[in-house]
Amino acid sequence: MFKLKVSDAKLLRDMATAISILVDEATFKIESDGLKLRAMDPSRVAMIDFEWPKSVFQEYEATEPTKICLNISELLKLLKRAGKDESVELGLDDKTGKLLVTIMGKYARKFTMSMLEPSEEEVPTPKISFNVKAKTTTSGLSQAIEDAQLVSDHVKIEAETDKITLSATGDIMGATITIQKGTDALLDLEVKENAKATFSLSYLSEIIKAAAASSEIATLEFSTDMPVKIDFQQAKEGKLTFFLAPRIETE
Amino acid sequence: MHSPKNKISVLTYPSLAEASALIEKAFAQRRTLVVAGNCHVHYAGRANSTLEYGERLLIIKSDGSLLVHRPTGYEPVNWQPSGSVFHVEVKGEKLEVHGVRQKPRETVKVDFTEILMASALNLADSGEFLLHASEDDMHRAILLKPELLEEGFKPISWEKHVEPGFVDIYGEDKDGKLVIVEVKRRTASKENVLQLAKYIEPIKAKTRRSVRAILAAPSLAKDVQRLLVSMGLEFKAVDPKKCAQVLHKASNSKLESFFKEN
Repeated sequence: MFKLKVSDAKLLRDMATAISILVDEATFKIESDGLKLRAMDPSRVAMIDFEWPKSVFQEYEATEPTKICLNISELLKLLKRAGKDESVELGLDDKTGKLLVTIMGKYARKFTMSMLEPSEEEVPTPKISFNVKAKTTTSGLSQAIEDAQLVSDHVKIEAETDKITLSATGDIMGATITIQKGTDALLDLEVKENAKATFSLSYLSEIIKAAAASSEIATLEFSTDMPVKIDFQQAKEGKLTFFLAPRIETE
Repeated sequence: MHSPKNKISVLTYPSLAEASALIEKAFAQRRTLVVAGNCHVHYAGRANSTLEYGERLLIIKSDGSLLVHRPTGYEPVNWQPSGSVFHVEVKGEKLEVHGVRQKPRETVKVDFTEILMASALNLADSGEFLLHASEDDMHRAILLKPELLEEGFKPISWEKHVEPGFVDIYGEDKDGKLVIVEVKRRTASKENVLQLAKYIEPIKAKTRRSVRAILAAPSLAKDVQRLLVSMGLEFKAVDPKKCAQVLHKASNSKLESFFKEN
């Protein structure tokens, strides 16, 4: 048995949007201390690590650890019907064994949704020692990625002591975007060792766009030719982190 | 991970009710389903079709794609792409499998009167499909990694127009000699040698540098070696499989390769 109530439907909607970028069928773990999800996208290039401690919820009951698997776009359809200041409650419909989604605002709406077989896969997190840690505004990062996207489908990110450079080379155009430490876009930068790595722009932009709804500050960590870890600071408690594998170019 | 014993369930000559239970469970667990039996298929959607009774294979994959195969031919006679929703029920003397796809609206109904075999498989497959390189891929791989041809080779241009045609790759070697390369995906033949030889004179006429002509292919036909040498050409073995790997490496790596500490 479980009952998860969120006072603002938008929170849940933004969370589901961020997850939907990578996974269609999301296996959530409902544990005594909170709601968790860790999954890789089907091409196994990117990963999401999400956690909401129970304090994020207005009400949180989980009698025993449970796994539920939901079609995330179906869930989003329902959540999109919820307006501002409406609350959402997720529970189990005892009779049918389906997920019961109750949206309460001006009036109460109850939806039932079939659940899928939860995935058995336990996804670990990549083990990487990061040499660069960059704290950026989500909007600044998003702008830089959009610039790079004009010319190419992948971007090289390089870090030096006082700046980050994004460079993209396309068939007919090239772009170099320099972000200096201490500007509005790059709030802080720690560089143990200069590093550069190349990433797919379509993944980066989708991830950042989706996470921007719930986060204003993003922390990027990377090392040469290693995956990038992007942590989106949440307004309330909780964790929304993505990992993206690099493109490896032959020398 | 799943234990080996729940990887597959197989029923031979099951009753319709037994088969239905297995199929229903397979749908719920998103397993790959293979059913052989006497069936009738009706499709309605972008067109309508009916396939009269006969013994065939019905395959429903874990992503919700459906295939009906007759005992011969490599192509399925009916199919639905992934994302269909399935339902099974026994109605009288028939077992009906319904598959519905929303956009565009398409329905497939497979009616079995007799089931010979039904199996639900839990298949794990994260391997990648590597298509060995085409001639074009080989060009690209050599441009990306010129050492495939030889150490110190620097490509300058490709598909360069030189009367009487086009040179596949045009570059210079570590000593500054001009190099023209003809790439072949299969064993290089006498015709290939003669084709390459045609380009040497026109290029020599335009430059004072010495010119080398290289035939790059997986292998050289037996009796061609002497002709090649007598015409002043060279042969370099280039493996299409290696070319494919080079191109592949330039794409995205997998996150899994970083799960373990290096």
